[in-house]
Parts: sequence; structure tokens; C-alpha cells
Amino acid sequence: MMDTFLLSLTVLLAGGIYALLTYRQFSLMKAGYVAITAAGSLIGLYAIWGPLQNGIVVTFSTTWLHLFTLTFTLDSLSAFFLIPIFGVCPLAALYSFHYMDKAEQRGRVAVNYFFLTLLIISMALVATADNIISFALVWEIMSLSSFFLVMHEFQEKATRKAGYIYFIFTHVGAMFIFAAFSLAYSYTGTYDFLSFADMPGGIKIIVFFLALVGFGSKAGIFPLHMWLPHAHPAAPSNISAVMSGVMIKMGIYGIIRLYATLGVTELIFGEAVLLLGIVSGILGVVYALGKHDLKKLLAYHSVENIGIILIGTGIGMIGIASENMVMASFGFAGGLLHVLNHSIFKSLLFFGAGAVLQKTKVRHIDQLGGLMKRMPTTGKTFLIGSVSISGLPPFNGFVSEFLIYYGAFHGLTLSGSSFIFTMLAILSLAIIGGLAAACFSKVVGVVFLGEPRTQKAAEALETGFTMTLPMLFLSTACLVIGIFPEPFIMAVFQGLKSIKTLQLVGTDEITIVAGNLAFAARLLLGVFLLSVLLRKVFYLKKEISRGSTWGCGFTQPTVKMQYTGTSYAMSIVDFFRPFVHIRTNYSGINRIFPGRTTYESRVDDIAETTLVDHIVSPILYLLAKLRWIQHGHIQLYIGYIIVTIIALLLFI
Amino acid sequence: METYITLAIAILAAPIFPGIILKTKAYFAGKQGPPLFIKYFTIIKLLRKGSVYSTSTSFVFKLGPTVSFATALIVLLFFPFAGSTPLFSFHGDIIVLFYIMGIGRFFTVIAALDTASPFEGMGAAREVFFSTLAEATIFTILILFYRLTGSLSFAEYFIGENQISLMNASGALLLFVIVALFMILLTENSRVPVDDPATHLELTMIHEVMILDHSGPDLALIELGSFYKLFFYSAFIAHIIYPFTSANGVVNGLIFYAILATVYIAIGITESIMARFRMDLVPQFILTSFALVFFAAILTMGILQ
Repeated sequence: MMDTFLLSLTVLLAGGIYALLTYRQFSLMKAGYVAITAAGSLIGLYAIWGPLQNGIVVTFSTTWLHLFTLTFTLDSLSAFFLIPIFGVCPLAALYSFHYMDKAEQRGRVAVNYFFLTLLIISMALVATADNIISFALVWEIMSLSSFFLVMHEFQEKATRKAGYIYFIFTHVGAMFIFAAFSLAYSYTGTYDFLSFADMPGGIKIIVFFLALVGFGSKAGIFPLHMWLPHAHPAAPSNISAVMSGVMIKMGIYGIIRLYATLGVTELIFGEAVLLLGIVSGILGVVYALGKHDLKKLLAYHSVENIGIILIGTGIGMIGIASENMVMASFGFAGGLLHVLNHSIFKSLLFFGAGAVLQKTKVRHIDQLGGLMKRMPTTGKTFLIGSVSISGLPPFNGFVSEFLIYYGAFHGLTLSGSSFIFTMLAILSLAIIGGLAAACFSKVVGVVFLGEPRTQKAAEALETGFTMTLPMLFLSTACLVIGIFPEPFIMAVFQGLKSIKTLQLVGTDEITIVAGNLAFAARLLLGVFLLSVLLRKVFYLKKEISRGSTWGCGFTQPTVKMQYTGTSYAMSIVDFFRPFVHIRTNYSGINRIFPGRTTYESRVDDIAETTLVDHIVSPILYLLAKLRWIQHGHIQLYIGYIIVTIIALLLFI
Repeated sequence: METYITLAIAILAAPIFPGIILKTKAYFAGKQGPPLFIKYFTIIKLLRKGSVYSTSTSFVFKLGPTVSFATALIVLLFFPFAGSTPLFSFHGDIIVLFYIMGIGRFFTVIAALDTASPFEGMGAAREVFFSTLAEATIFTILILFYRLTGSLSFAEYFIGENQISLMNASGALLLFVIVALFMILLTENSRVPVDDPATHLELTMIHEVMILDHSGPDLALIELGSFYKLFFYSAFIAHIIYPFTSANGVVNGLIFYAILATVYIAIGITESIMARFRMDLVPQFILTSFALVFFAAILTMGILQ
């Protein structure tokens, strides 16, 4: 099995190198790259089939620089996280065929493909890395390759800034992870993850929380999420889809894997993760409501969904801590299934956003509208993605959220702080669900429905078939998981067998819950189809006419009168005001015959403003005071070096 | 058999009850009011008509009424009317059902946005805001019920071993639930003081304004769906007020519909003696209901330990 897995990675690498070699033949390069990547990913999916079915664990190790041993292990938890990697990435490659259509940039596209390949391979290796050195190595490759992908349009200033922010966040995060690992190494003396379980309890807590900061900055946990809303709009949409749908899940993988490796059962872990999940979930969706840039909005929804995943994980951890295994099993299962679900609908939505962007060149949602008629496939698949991400049945988002609810409700019998935390988890899930539905009714309504607000939106056309095909495929996946959830829930529980502290509930209960969910989804679909039929019967031989929308007596309607996304969301965003900064700029009406009036509102990220005002600015101020050290005299610089060396020699 | 009969009665009788509200309001206004069966006449009238569709709309606009009707209907299939066994039931169905109502709302909202009308957009924005707040109350009620009974479905609440009842040791907490649920009923079914179904000013409306452009059979489906939704919430309250334990189905049924009529009369009285709130007071109204049940849920920490 490991051979097959390595074969798939080799094939993928060959695809990346092929792209670099053949970049002169633009279409040939793209087609060949897509084919090779698809082949490699299919081999990869075949390789993880075994571990997902019967939990085989396979290991591969090699020495590196004659000094370190690199070990990679493929178990069922790794295999589960490999599903989105091998499932979504080839679709992103296919999508890029029509999306990256500028032949004059062929060299850059080839480089982009090469780094995408590196990203896929490194993510697959992160999910299987089994000691400190191999993990650190592939984690860095993953961060760097994704940095180069974000920088695709490096001529634009905004892109360079976004890339810079991403670089800082990902490396500060990596530093925390390395700190955690070196602390662990100083206690265990080996690079092996297995020995982590032998550390003293207090050290385990420090290691976990240090690494949580690092993994959190990759996953986009509030308040470490700041790079997401910058990097996703800057990156090309196929890259945003891979990064948001797949890469940030590696942070989640790190948290769950570390938790399992440490073998801890204290309550503090679960409560901390749950609390981070609640904060990320609610504030993520509130900021998403306040944003008007389509891709920025989707980036904030990633924060929200990471929050939901962490709520599930936190419920699972609290369940383990209080030995409530129904709560633990279903909490973890919901969180893990949401990883897969989010990778599906989030990449679908980014694909849709990319199609809109490519055809209209407009990012601001209030300048779009009416695209459902001009871009029907994009519109319909985006609608399915929106319903799924809002967690509504009969689509996949609901399945994972239901599992989390199921676990959380069974934790309500706990007492004391665990009860409070569980109750907060349920309430925040309900509120997140409502707000997500509000936000996506806004996006669908303002971007795809109604009348086009600008000329560019009115002239948009449907995109090429390689772009609509992945969207159709992913939206079908949303519905399939919703209506046939059983095999997917089973796969999740297989993946959870890697967490040794978790005694899973019996297969009977899982089958019953999965069966009930499947029944409810099919019933909903059945009643819906019957209602459609009923409607058809009612409309037999009826007179249908068309007219303009009822304007309440107003006879001169214009498209500008439509409700905008800004005003749609404002009352909700305003409700969360202490946590959200709203800046408005209104020119006012001050003459009898009013002239040109302007109104502008911005929603600022409180984490970003706090970071800039209270951390970055004071540091810059302090460092400016030290500016005199840097004066440009090379001989004095050499003097610094000598003084430092002497000082070090004296003290060490 | 009893299951099918009670379900059929519920589905057929749901449109009578809004007539009771109208009668109550007419009584307070000193008028005779429309006949009790007015809503049936309205539905039949609408079903006979054709439809006018706005040129701005797409297929989403036609999907809205169908989805909202289907989702409202499904909820009735899971409800144990008058203590009879419901058609379907499973552990956890209550979460599914509130989410199914969510998808009904989602499609109503995007159908409204599809018309490109500023009024409908405004109504849609209000609807999603208020219903999100209402969701918090509803899930707190579910939390409270789980603490009291360990159940997660309507059948377990009302006909299971651990029945919810005002007579139990923790029955006092249910008084909070009844008040809160009544407030949620007013919110979710667009009644006074949150919304006014009888108003003629589009700017002040929430739910009614979202369906301004629907006509004919589409409007009939929406109306039917809203009758079912109101019927469900009222039945929910009725079951909390009186636990149906009698073996005699007919007696249960009579008591059930009597309590149900009382709930509708209470709605009518509320509408007669209150004015609708200013829009910015509505969130406070909903949060009051949340505070009530949250308080009750916290109290269970003392009771159950």
C-alpha cells in the first residue's frame, strides 16, 4: 500500500516537472498536466482505500543526509485527510485549464503548476509524517510552495502585500510548532512521535498549546486568521480553492494528530479547543456578512467552518475527558466529516467565485446581480454550494453539523463547566447556522438573482466546460453525501480508530444515526418532488403572463433601487457591534435640491486593528528608537560581530 | 390507523384556525368579521387563478413556494398530534426538523431577492436576522428538554416514557418555555407585535412583503405552508400545556383542539391589544424569550444535581 502511495506522489511530481519542461506548448502543457495530476490522484485514492476500509497501518522510512530518519506512516486518520487532498486538487487542476487562459503568461502558469504539485505532495506527506524531522520538513515545503502560489500575480501591490502577510503568519506559526517539538524533544530524546505519550503531564499541556498556536495560524483560527482574507482574494481562484478547501485542514490534522499522540484526557484541552471554535465560528460568519468582496467573504467563511470543525473536535475532547463516549465519538465524527464536507463545498464556491470574477472582472458583490440567467451552470452549482455550506438538509453540510449536535446534546447530562461549555457549543452552532444562511442568501441573492447592477454584470457569459465540470462534480458530491451519508460516516469512524483514548460507540448506534439522517434527507427530497408535481397539476391549463416587478405604485424603477448586500447585512453586523468595527462615510443631504450623495461603509477586522494598533505599532516605535545601531558603517558592523562573539565565548 | 387519521385531520383542519384569529380580532373591534372558513375560500380562489411572473425572476422564484410548502408539510409528519404516534420519528428528529424549516426559509428569502424589488430585499434582510435570533431560543428550549427528559424527538417529548409535563417536579420551568415559545410563535409566523399580516404598507412588513410578487397557485402553496407552520407551533405549545395520556383517542383529540383553539385565540387577543413594535425593538423582544429559557436551562443545573 505504501508503494502505491509513493507511486502516486511520484506521478504527481512527474506532472509538475512535465509542466516546467513543456511550457512553450501552452495548451499541451495544461492538458498533460491535468491528465498526469488526475492519474496521480486516482492512484493516491486507490492507495488510501485499504487503510479506510480495514485500518491497515503501513510505514515507510528513509535516511536523509545520513543524519536523520524520515518516517511516514499511513493509518486510517491520515487516509481520511488524504481524501480531500486527492479528491479536490485534481479538480482544481482541471479548473485551471480554462481559468488560466493567458497564453502570454505561459511560463508563469507552468511555475504555478509546479508549485501546485509541490503543495499537493507536501500536504500528502504532512498527513503521513511520523516523526519530528519529517513533519517539520514537509510542513515548511507546504508553507513555501503555497506562498509562491499566492504570489502568482506578483506585479500587483495588493498581491505582494497579501503574500507578505501570509509569509509572516505561516512562519510565526511554524516557529511555534518547532518550539513545541523541540520542547518535546528535550524531554523524550527521540524524534519519534510515539514517544510524546511518555512526557510529564505539565509539559504535554505546554507542547499542545504551543503547537495549537502554530496549527491555528495555518487553519485560520480567530484571531490568527488574518492572512486568510488577504491571501485568498490575491491568489488565483483554483489556488484559493485548494488552500481554503484543503490546505488549512492540515492545521486541523495537526491538532487532532497531536492530541491523539499525546494521549491526554484532561478537560482543559477540550474546553480550550471548543472556545476557540465558538469564537472563530461566530466572528468568522459575522465578518463574512460585513464583507463585500466575494472572495474575501468566502475566506471569512473558512474561518467560520474551521470554527465548526473545532466545535466538533472540542466536544469530542470534552467527551473523552468526561468519559462520555457517545458525545466523544459523534463530536469527533462530526468535526472530521465537516473537514471533508467543507473541502467540497468551499472549493465549489471558490470555483464559482472565480468564474464570476473571470467573466465580469468585478469583485464587489454590490456591482453584480442577475448572473443566474447569464451563467446558469455556475449559478445553480453556486446555489447548491451555498445551501450546503449553510448546513441545510438534504446536503452534506447538514450531515456533519447534525453529528456534532448529536454528540453535544448527549453531553448535556454532564455537570458544572462541561455542561456550560456544551450548551454554548449547541447555541453557537445554531447561531452560526442561522447567520451562514443569512450570509449565503445575501451572496446568492445579490450576485446571481435580481437584475444586473452594472454593465459588466449584464454582459457576463458562461465559462468554459473545464470550469463548469468540476463545479458540477462537486455539487453532485454535496447532494450524494447528503442523501447517502452512511459510507462516509463509516469512513469517518474508521479514521477515528487512530485516536487511542477514544472508545468508539458500537456500530449499531452509528448505523441507526446514519440511517435516520439518510431517511430524513430522502424524505425531504421525496416530499419536495411531490410538491413540484402538485404545483405542476395546479398550473395545468393556467394562464401565465409576465410583467415587471411590483414597485408599490412607483413606475420608474431602476436596477440601482435593488437592495444591496451592504444594507442586507447591516442590521445583523450592527448587532455584533462591540466585536466588529463599522466605519461609515455619509455625505448627507443638506440642500433643498440635493446634489451627489455618497455613502460608504467598511467593516474592520477587530483582530487586525488590535494587532496593528497594540502590537505592530509599539514594536515599530521601539525599533525606530534603535535605528541608530544601523548606520551603514561596515567597519562598525564587523565590530558588532566581534563583540558578540567575545560575549558569547565568555558566557557559554 | 390513529396516526393517519390524526395527521389527515391536522392537514385538513389547519386553515380553519387562522379564521379563529380573525374572528377574535373582529370581536375586539366590534365587527362581525369574515366567516370561519375564509382561508379555505382564499386557497380555492388562488388555486383557480393563473400567475404573473416578473421579468426579473429566474427559476429560483418558482422554487420558493414549493420548498416552503414541502418543508412545512414534513414537520407535521413527525408531530404526535393529540398524543397519537406520529407517522415518522427517530432520536434526533427535532434537530433535523428545525433545519428543514431553515431550508424553507432560505428559499423563501432568495425567491424574494430574485424579484429585484427593494421592498422584498428589505423584508428578506429582516426575516433572516430575526429568525437567527429565534433559533437561539429554540435550541435553548431543546437543551432544556434534553436536560429534563434525555429526549431529542417530538414523539419522545410527548408520548415517550419520560413525558414532558407541567405536573412533574420541574414543571415550573415549563412555564418559561410556554411564554418563550409563544413569543417565538409570534416571531416566526409574522404576527403582531413583530410583524403585521394585515398591513398595507410594504415598508413595515417582514414576511408579507417577501411574497408580494407571488400569485395564483404559488401564493396558495405559500399560504398553506404558513398555516401548517403556525399549526405546528401552536400544537407544540398545546402539548406542553397538557400532556395527552388518556387511552381514548377521541377524548385526546377533543382536548387537543380545544387547547389549540385557545392558543389561536390568545394570538388574536395579542394582536387586538398590542401595536406592532418599532423594528429596532424586535431583537429585544426575541432576546427576552431567549433570556427566559436560558434562565430555565441554567436552573436545571441545580435541580438535576
